[in-house]
Amino acid sequence: MKRQGPIILAFVVGMLMMIQFFTPNPFFLSLYNTVLDWKQVVLGCTFILGTWSLIRYHLTRIQRKQDNWRYSYVTLAGLGFMVLSAGIWKTTTGPYPWLFSNVQVPMQSTMFSLLAFYVASASYRAFRARTVHATLLLVAGALVMLGRVPIGAYFSGTVFGVEISLVEISDWMLNVPNLAAKRGIMIGVGLGTTATALKIILGIEQTYLGRTD
Amino acid sequence: MTFFERMMSIDRRIIFLFVALAVAIPLLRPLGFPVQVSEEVRSFHKEMAALEEGDIIMLTFDYEGDVMAELDPMAIAVLKDVFPRGVKVVALTTYAGGTGIAENHLREAAEVYGKTYGVDYVFLGYNPDWSGTILRLGESFKKTYPTDQYGKNTNDIPIMQEVETYDDIELICSIAGSALSEYWAIWAGGRYGVKVISGNTAIQAVLIYPYYQAGQIPGFLGGLKGAAEYEKLIDEPGMGIRGMDAQSIAHALMLVFILVGNIGYFFSRRAKREELRKG
Amino acid sequence: MSLTIDPGIWVAALFTLAIFSFLYKDNPVYKFAEHLLVGVSAGYYLVQYFFSAVYKKLYVPVFINGEYWLIVGGILGIMMFARLSRRSEWVSRYPVAFYVAAWAGYVIPSYIQVRILQQVKSTMFNPFAMSIQEALSATVLLVGVITTLLYFYFSAEHKGGLKHVSRIGITFLMIGFGATFGYNVMGRVSLLIGRFQFLMTDWLGIIQ
Repeated sequence: MKRQGPIILAFVVGMLMMIQFFTPNPFFLSLYNTVLDWKQVVLGCTFILGTWSLIRYHLTRIQRKQDNWRYSYVTLAGLGFMVLSAGIWKTTTGPYPWLFSNVQVPMQSTMFSLLAFYVASASYRAFRARTVHATLLLVAGALVMLGRVPIGAYFSGTVFGVEISLVEISDWMLNVPNLAAKRGIMIGVGLGTTATALKIILGIEQTYLGRTD
Repeated sequence: MTFFERMMSIDRRIIFLFVALAVAIPLLRPLGFPVQVSEEVRSFHKEMAALEEGDIIMLTFDYEGDVMAELDPMAIAVLKDVFPRGVKVVALTTYAGGTGIAENHLREAAEVYGKTYGVDYVFLGYNPDWSGTILRLGESFKKTYPTDQYGKNTNDIPIMQEVETYDDIELICSIAGSALSEYWAIWAGGRYGVKVISGNTAIQAVLIYPYYQAGQIPGFLGGLKGAAEYEKLIDEPGMGIRGMDAQSIAHALMLVFILVGNIGYFFSRRAKREELRKG
Repeated sequence: MSLTIDPGIWVAALFTLAIFSFLYKDNPVYKFAEHLLVGVSAGYYLVQYFFSAVYKKLYVPVFINGEYWLIVGGILGIMMFARLSRRSEWVSRYPVAFYVAAWAGYVIPSYIQVRILQQVKSTMFNPFAMSIQEALSATVLLVGVITTLLYFYFSAEHKGGLKHVSRIGITFLMIGFGATFGYNVMGRVSLLIGRFQFLMTDWLGIIQ
């Protein structure tokens, strides 16, 4: 019941969703649609559960007075105020969309833009042409960095009588060797994902069920 | 400490300052570098240009605030391209944080071009579960989205009377900050045969080439540069084109950093070796 | 143009600077902004999750449209909350198994079709139906895909012929990773440009 039940459920649902791909039978189609509808509700509830875990984490931090525990009040206040705002003024007017546009979005985008500075610092300190392969990586990176921006159009010349530009080299590199590498990885990932999915349906892969008891 | 060793231990904040200046100065004093249009953006534009008045497209805002600097210009340009031509838009998002962003852009564009909500466009909002949503839309839009983002029953929205499945839309344009455009190509394109084109962050764009070459995504915009190219093609200069000078100078600076860093590294290593040899 | 008086833009600009202050060093202003971001975002998401999963996907279909069988999805969703107690945790395995297996079921045919077969098909080419230049590029592509795949083949030791082939694979991978790095730089710089455009245009009004 505790372990075998979910494994049997996984087998039945997995087989159903796989079989329906190959049959236009209305019964299977109806089951397929129902499973997809249930699946969306389950994930929505999981996200709500995730938010509860975040609340519990901050409450515990306050309770145990862990490092920087006072900031947890800020997190909880922000969360509570957003939920209350949506309840009182709805989601289209009032503080809910205002805080989204003027607090959440600017901070989110700034947080990610910080990485531009750290990428620059890392490029200076760690990006070394130590080996042939590292040099190749560096050259490919440089070709993209120059070839994909307007300044790249200024780099062109004649090699063995053939007019060639950095933009063309960059385009070729992206569309041929880069594509080959990405496709190789994609096919490998595709095979790996398919094998894992099959193992889940057949009950060989059970780690997603958590601890054994 | 030798000169090269000192060079290698420079305070990171000095590097940060250079980056900030490389971005700020070209924004203040534009240099006007010409934007060249790549083949993949031309293909994206070709698909959009083929749309006619009354056609319906699905525009998906698959991103949040973190990458909006790259993707907002694309979403805005798409709306500027299709709304004046009478193309209708069914918009949705697969990110909870994408709702506010989509609402703002749709509302602003609708105001500019005099579009009516529910007739010329609709915003279905967010649904949990990417893959489940994409597949379910293939069977029924109204069952996947029983209401729009504002709680209105989709059975009562005029534009939704014309859309039941993917067969009723011309194409899906996924503006994605993650692998979502790949998922649209896998599940909507692969299973239901609907055409998928995409706008991607630069980081994601490099992974789209295999789909592009295979014809699974027949056109895409890669990063802010892709947005700038598309803005140029539709003759609507926006944030993409305005940012290209700064993008160029910042890239050049990064390359200078890599070059100087390597020179410093090799010379300081050589100096160390010589010291060891001398004992 | 001049400095804005819009309070929303002022708030956004000050929080932008608060996050940028981390570049100097970690400080209380940054920590405050960071924690507020987590709280406000979680609150925003929670409302969207509740509206989409509970109201839109459950309440409307079941109680307004009369699709009663969808209540099972709600029961499965509620079962997820059994994770909150260690004693009842096992109950949540049912919705987890349901979700993961449903995904596994449709991922198999879809991935085989789109990510494997169509990709392999697009790597094949007819050299007689293209120019010499195109045929050369197509050959490089074919060699690249095969050698990259062989690099990840670990069922045999990489020595002899396989060693040389997998080294060619690494070469392609390095070009691919280099391209990823280049695009990564491009993406990060674009995000920074976005913030600077906001500060200089919307807030300070020093550029148009």
